[in-house]
Amino acid sequence: MSDVEPVGGPGREGDSEASESAARRLAVLQRAGGMVTPLITVVFAFLVGGLVVVATTGKNPLTTYKAIFDGSGLNWLLPWQTCADPCTAALNFQQTLIIWIPLALTGLAVAFAFRCGLFNIGGQGQYLVGAIVAVWVGSSFQGLTPVLHILLAIVAASVSGALYGGIAGLLKATVGAHEVITTIMLNWIAVWVGIFLFGLGGPLQNDPQPWVPVSNDIAEGAKLPVFWGDPILQGLHIGLFVAAGFLVVFWVMLNRTTLGYEVRAVGFNPEAARYGGISVSRNYFLAMAISGLFAGLAGSLDILGWQFRLNVNDIQISNVGFVGIAVALLGRNTAIGTGLAALLFAALTTGTSTRNLDPEIFRPELASNLTLLIQGLVVLFVGADVLILYLWGLRRKARLGRGAAA
Amino acid sequence: MSERAVLELRGIVKRFPGILANDNVSFDLKQGEVHALLGENGAGKSTLMNVLYGLYHPDEGEIRIGGKPVQIGSPRAAIENGVGMVHQHFMLIPVMTVAENIVLATEPRSRGIFLDHAAAEKRVRELSERFGLAVGPRDLVQDITVGMQQRVEILKALYRGADILVLDEPTAVLTPQEAKELFGIIRTLTAQGKSIIFISHKLNEVLEIADRITVLRRGVRVETLAAEGATEEGLARLMVGREVLLRVDKRPAEPGEPLLQVEDLRVFDDRGIEKVRGVSFQVRAGEILGIAGVDGNGQTELIDALTGLRRSESGHVVVGGKEHRNPTPREMLDAGQGHIPQDRQRRGLVLDFTLAENIALHDYCYEPDSKLGWLYPGRLVTRAARLLKEFDVRGGGPQTRASSLSGGNQQKVIVAREVSRDPRVLIAAQPTRGLDVGACEFVHRRLVDERDEGRAILLVSLELDEILSLSDRILVIYEGELVAEFAPGVSEEEVGVAMTGGGRREAAA
Amino acid sequence: MSRAWEIFLARLPRGARAAAWVGVGIGILAAWLMTPPVMLRSPVVPVLVGAVAVALGGYAFTRGVRRLGAGAAVFGLLGAGLGVLTTQSGEANLEGVVVWSALFAAMLRYATPLIFASIGGMFSERSGVVNIGLEGMMLMGCFFAIWGADRTGSWLGGVAIAAVAGGLLALVHAYFAIHLRADQIVGGTAVNFLALGITGYLFIDIYKDTGTPSDVARIPDVHLSFLKDWYFVGPIVGQLNLLIWIGLVTILGSWIVMFKTPVGLRIRSVGEHPRAAETVGISVYKTRYAAVTLSGVLAALGGAYLSIGFVGSFNQNMTAGRGFIALAALIFGKWRPFGAAAAAILFGLSSALADRLPVYSESGAVLFRSLPYALTLIAVAGVIGRSIPPAAIGRPYVKQ
Repeated sequence: MSDVEPVGGPGREGDSEASESAARRLAVLQRAGGMVTPLITVVFAFLVGGLVVVATTGKNPLTTYKAIFDGSGLNWLLPWQTCADPCTAALNFQQTLIIWIPLALTGLAVAFAFRCGLFNIGGQGQYLVGAIVAVWVGSSFQGLTPVLHILLAIVAASVSGALYGGIAGLLKATVGAHEVITTIMLNWIAVWVGIFLFGLGGPLQNDPQPWVPVSNDIAEGAKLPVFWGDPILQGLHIGLFVAAGFLVVFWVMLNRTTLGYEVRAVGFNPEAARYGGISVSRNYFLAMAISGLFAGLAGSLDILGWQFRLNVNDIQISNVGFVGIAVALLGRNTAIGTGLAALLFAALTTGTSTRNLDPEIFRPELASNLTLLIQGLVVLFVGADVLILYLWGLRRKARLGRGAAA
Repeated sequence: MSERAVLELRGIVKRFPGILANDNVSFDLKQGEVHALLGENGAGKSTLMNVLYGLYHPDEGEIRIGGKPVQIGSPRAAIENGVGMVHQHFMLIPVMTVAENIVLATEPRSRGIFLDHAAAEKRVRELSERFGLAVGPRDLVQDITVGMQQRVEILKALYRGADILVLDEPTAVLTPQEAKELFGIIRTLTAQGKSIIFISHKLNEVLEIADRITVLRRGVRVETLAAEGATEEGLARLMVGREVLLRVDKRPAEPGEPLLQVEDLRVFDDRGIEKVRGVSFQVRAGEILGIAGVDGNGQTELIDALTGLRRSESGHVVVGGKEHRNPTPREMLDAGQGHIPQDRQRRGLVLDFTLAENIALHDYCYEPDSKLGWLYPGRLVTRAARLLKEFDVRGGGPQTRASSLSGGNQQKVIVAREVSRDPRVLIAAQPTRGLDVGACEFVHRRLVDERDEGRAILLVSLELDEILSLSDRILVIYEGELVAEFAPGVSEEEVGVAMTGGGRREAAA
Repeated sequence: MSRAWEIFLARLPRGARAAAWVGVGIGILAAWLMTPPVMLRSPVVPVLVGAVAVALGGYAFTRGVRRLGAGAAVFGLLGAGLGVLTTQSGEANLEGVVVWSALFAAMLRYATPLIFASIGGMFSERSGVVNIGLEGMMLMGCFFAIWGADRTGSWLGGVAIAAVAGGLLALVHAYFAIHLRADQIVGGTAVNFLALGITGYLFIDIYKDTGTPSDVARIPDVHLSFLKDWYFVGPIVGQLNLLIWIGLVTILGSWIVMFKTPVGLRIRSVGEHPRAAETVGISVYKTRYAAVTLSGVLAALGGAYLSIGFVGSFNQNMTAGRGFIALAALIFGKWRPFGAAAAAILFGLSSALADRLPVYSESGAVLFRSLPYALTLIAVAGVIGRSIPPAAIGRPYVKQ
């Protein structure tokens, strides 16, 4: 039995759908496609990427992709892979995992906000704020015991990220300012403030070398211990466990706490949430703050794990926060999905880096832009849930049932 | 009215996934006649007319206008063939003027590319005078009354040269007085040679205005008969297929002390207009208080204020002995108030949540559902399973998503949730909107049962039948004020008059 | 003509609203008085003048004109603060920074890409399609203008190719948003990623080692020799780029189209109530496609100006968020062409200032670069009124 639209009267849209938030649409996608739709999306994106490769360079896309695969170190996981000493595949894989850490976290940041119906494009700014605070705390307080120093830096960075994200959340909650624009503006503000702080003559510029626009190095005691690989050659640090742990935290928060219940309710239907007694504005603020926390944490793990200092140039070219958007969307805003999607993009990044990609096969600078292209395509196709679902032969009840009103 | 058929629909079939909306329906319209299309919600009336207007394409069947077969593939084609439609939800653009709305897509131009506002207004005035439809061309649609908006809609059709007018549930939003005016307009139009299709589910109106009546039931044309000699009971039987109980069976009420008291409530809407002007009343335990009124007279704002979803300018509410000024929804929920909202999909349910999660919508933050912020999903499921069984909800279990359920079952879930919280006061807004007869009967039965349990029930509805059949006391709201109070035996006409503001009486608290 | 004047006078604010607007003006006056050429030096002046503005704002506030009143008070405080600050800096510095005519000329230059993009955004959004991808479309215009000018040897070719590139990208966004009913914000973000990838890829592929040619054909300036020597006005408008003038014309043109022609009426109807528009025979899909494509073309023109009209070269991610600032200008301007343009010009002014303020402090210069973004943030936070977007914006339309 189908429902009739609201009784008569001046036009609300004749279609009378409960306002479709981004969260709601992605929820439908999640239910319907499970793992399959993201896979199709990725395949599609790579297909189109391959076409670009052929069209512009005339090279075989499969060899390119294979080279990227090898460069990423994912081949280390294959059981038939033999390994010399030192094992390049292992080294590459360590690199991939190092990049996975911040990507997974920024992905979680975007995902959490998305679950509340908010589009947090400010992951980059929040990440930067976390990195800045981490580098400052890490390079000050010399002589603190390592555990304490690390904890202090991480907590300070995460809180700063949370506050920075909370600004956008607060603006949304109080005056209804659209978070897409506010977070993008905050991104740029963070970038310029960072450049100011560590640039020539800036207040936080390093002491030993006044002609280099870089921050102070963090103390030895503040560095995260490496557990796999050679610390001198940038091995994999224990931040991995922190990030993995936070994947679990994400899931638990959303599904086993009242906060998570509220966030999800607001994401699906803010009106019903209000009716249920939930404070929508409070949740907007909290979601953005928690989102910022994840991103700030990512920033601190990178600094304490392998960067150890913040360079003005790093600030300008960093794009971890933006890739996080693609990660979250591909991962359908779930913990597992984000983890896997982050792995994909981390692998792409390592595989296309100058160190790993043979310029004969494909020029690395081009390849990194190819990565950007693929990311863009992924985001594009993710948004087109109708396309994907149609391809898979599913029908969205919600859409097609509408027409049956008497 | 001549014998010539200006319009024929032959053997129209229209399918949607899972539903056969029109099953070989044939229909003809004579020139100058008013032909009513009668049927319950879901019978296929609007679908048939949307086919006529080109918004849907029929799977089978043929349309003939003036004897010649035509293909109506879009509204534009329908307009070209002289068919005009006045939709149930108006197709008007609120921020534009009346004239702009009327001339949209066929705008008069000056100097080739500019819009000639003056010519548009002139033409609108001409038409309005010719057909007796008073409108102000420069008014913004969002500022005029609903009755006037409807006149604009009719003018829109006439402006494009419609000879056949389809009116889809036109009186749903009108006061009885405005409905009378509409009937007068209809008679003027038919006198000038226009032919009218009048879609409705209101038996009395159909009998008054129509020349012939076609009854649809579940997509099938049941019968076409002359209005003369037809009766309400006969039509109802045709519509539903069985004897219809038009009144709910119930014991007389035994009201106790007041559980809900409203004192001098004033509420403004989003645009700063005062919608509730100093309303006071009370609802006693064991009684159903019905508030009748035409849509837009402040009911929505009143309920919003009572439930904390909107702030009130002044006044307060007393529930269970405690006074509340400008409460939050949480406050009123905790005070023992339940709310069956008028829009179950927009407000009452989170469609993407499971039934268990929906049932927990108010109480997730209390034990046993959660403790200190930690949620126990298993407990949600157990409680939901129990309630779903008790209320005979079909279509899924606690882990099913709410969106999979039919409207009737969704409403049952909401009722189950509200009632199971053991509220002192239950506010039911349009509780049977869009429900089929079976679901309607369930909800009505349940409300009466809860009344007998000693709860205070406030029923706000746009359906006068519902109010009359359920309420122990009836108040009428008009332009934000309570203008009359009635006892249950009152006639529809009397209430109707009060709903239009005529014959004000003191509204006893 | 007198009718237009009548309408204008009738629309002027009255009473408390007028007081609030006057307050805003006086707040600005408080700062302006301290700058060249007037350049008073006593800090008392801005404080007093600012106080007047705050008083007017307060008066308006108590009369119910809340937002504007608060805004006037804020302007009063800001103006006073800025005014006092200027007394702290040296006269020579001030004269270096605040050369109003040069400042205004720079303001127009910085504002033009924003103007194009925000007007483009207006068409798209008024038809009901959110266009977050303005940034990407501008970037496409940026790159393809230089590439086109390089290939064809003429700036006209560059501009034409840029327009096509922007239009094509917009078409992608339109297809995903309209036919596939994808979430429009996600789609817009994707489009930005794509533009970054495409322009970066091609830039490195074609120009990597050498960068874009320094002698690429640039859009010419319009020399108004008869104006050049006029006091104050001369330096501003005497030698402005052609595309700046076209931008200004576009503002007027878009206003006429949007509010004075049937085309505009239909676009607006599709954005407010697409179902209603469809029932009178307007094709919602076609209208939206056209509007979105137009927005891409206009944004690309803004980008073209940026690369071959203003800067003269291209580097990756050159637009640096300007597309979003343009979007903010649109919202700030309540989706009306003059409002959006005014906001764009304001943001342009902040960029122009940021350019000249380095005279005070080298490292501080960097901080000033964040000024436009901070200003946008404040604007979007709704200091001056909350805008109501077209009613059906962002919701995909389902054709029956």
